[in-house]
This record gives sequence, C-alpha cells and structure tokens, in this order.
Amino acid sequence: MDRLEQELKAALGRKDPPAGFAERVLREAARAPARGTALPQRNRPWPRWLAAAAAVVLCAGAGLGYRQYRGEVARQQVMQAFRIASVKVNHIQTHVREVER
Amino acid sequence: MTQLESVQQTGLDFGELVRRHQSMVFSVCRHFLHDRDQAEDVAQEVFLGLHRNLESIQSEAHAGHWLRKVAVQRSIDAGRRRQRRPQVALADVAEPAAETAVRDPMLGETLRRLIATLPETPRMVMVLRYQEDLDPAEIGQVMEMPVATVKSHLQRSLALLREKLARRGVREERWIG
Repeated sequence: MDRLEQELKAALGRKDPPAGFAERVLREAARAPARGTALPQRNRPWPRWLAAAAAVVLCAGAGLGYRQYRGEVARQQVMQAFRIASVKVNHIQTHVREVER
Repeated sequence: MTQLESVQQTGLDFGELVRRHQSMVFSVCRHFLHDRDQAEDVAQEVFLGLHRNLESIQSEAHAGHWLRKVAVQRSIDAGRRRQRRPQVALADVAEPAAETAVRDPMLGETLRRLIATLPETPRMVMVLRYQEDLDPAEIGQVMEMPVATVKSHLQRSLALLREKLARRGVREERWIG
C-alpha cells in the first residue's frame, strides 16, 4: 500500500453516527409493523384476485356496451339509407306517371 | 416483532446488531454521499430494512454482509435521487491559487471532497476499498461486478487523485507519513 493509499485509508476511516442514532433506530423499529404481521381486518386491502376480477368484468362490460353502440349506429345508418331511397323512388314514380299522361 | 421476539426467533438481538454495525453503515453512507444528514437518514433506512428481514438473517456475519450490501445499494439510490448537487468531473474541480503546505492538515478533507466528485461506481469502489478494507474480489461480490472492473476503477481513480493532488501542489514525496 503506497502513500496515497495510506492517506485514503486514514481519510475514509469509519465514523460514528450522531449521538442517539441507535436509540432512534430502535424507536422507529418498534413503531414499524414487522413483516408477516396480519393487518387488522378493517385495514386489509382488497385481495388481488378480487381487484383483477373487477377489472375483467369492467373491461367486458365496456366492450359489450361499445358493441351495442356500434350496432345502433349501423342500424340508424341503414334506416336513413332506406328513407333516402324511398324518397328517390317516390320521386321517380311521380315523374314516370307524369310522362305516361 | 419486538426485541424479545427477535432474539427468540433468530438468536440475534436487533439492538446489539445496530450498535455493532452502526459506524460501518453510517460511514459507507457518509463517505459515499458526503452529507451527514442524508447519510443518517439512509443508515436508519438500512437498519429498518434489517429489522423487517430479521427472520431471514442466519448469523451475526450474515447480518454484517447484508448490512454492507444494502448500505451500498441504498446509498447509490439516494445519490441518484439527490439532484441538488450536480456531479462534477474530478478533472474540473477548481484549483487553489497557492501551493499547499508540505503537511496539509486538510489533506483528509481534500481527499474526501475529491472522492465525492467521482462517478458513483468508482466512488463506492473507493469507499469499500479504503474504508472497509475489502479486496477487489470482495468488492466485486458486494457490488455484483467482475473483479477486473473493480481493479480498473481503483487504478483509474487513484491515477486521477494523484493527478489532481499534483496539480494542487501536493506530491507524495512531500507528505509526512
């Protein structure tokens, strides 16, 4: 180990944390819930499978609703086309009758 | 888990682990972050992590390795989150106007400040090498990198420090050992 390395070793020596550090850590640890401790029933979050199932139902419902909406739009377009065609046919029939006279 | 329960289940006393390893954990954080308050926060976070995982710790030695590795990871994470001090390249640190005295009483602080300007990986490698006295293979294990990379970081960092100190007028032959 050369001179610089010796100086680095001295400069980077271990330092004690501020006074009371260990006591603060122990106090915080005592307040924090330990791993594996069951949460009280009222605080327990929804199970993951229930959240996933709700998401699937929502997506399926939304998909069904969208398909129904698109069907209704198509039906209205067809009806509109029929109405336009009917007006045109009536117009042509009137015209034909006038020519026949 | 209470103190008594932790001792009964693992045979390890959490309070004793904190007292035994606090200077190691705090020093890794402090030398890497160069910020006492932030180092204290990160060190506390490391010990609380140990408390949450105490049941997976098998021995006193295992606790020491676990704490060192987590202190390294948490310090690097905290350094990345911290944006208030932009990282400066070692070569860009300002030069003093006058030459330093033969025995620089501030040499230790100068070295710590120069190390603080290193990029995160070589900085942590230097901390583990000179604070914890780990050899390159051990550093490679803690930081999950090849030994050759560790050696390369050490060599390049030492060369940069020598160059920087020489530019400051601090030469090894003038140091009083």
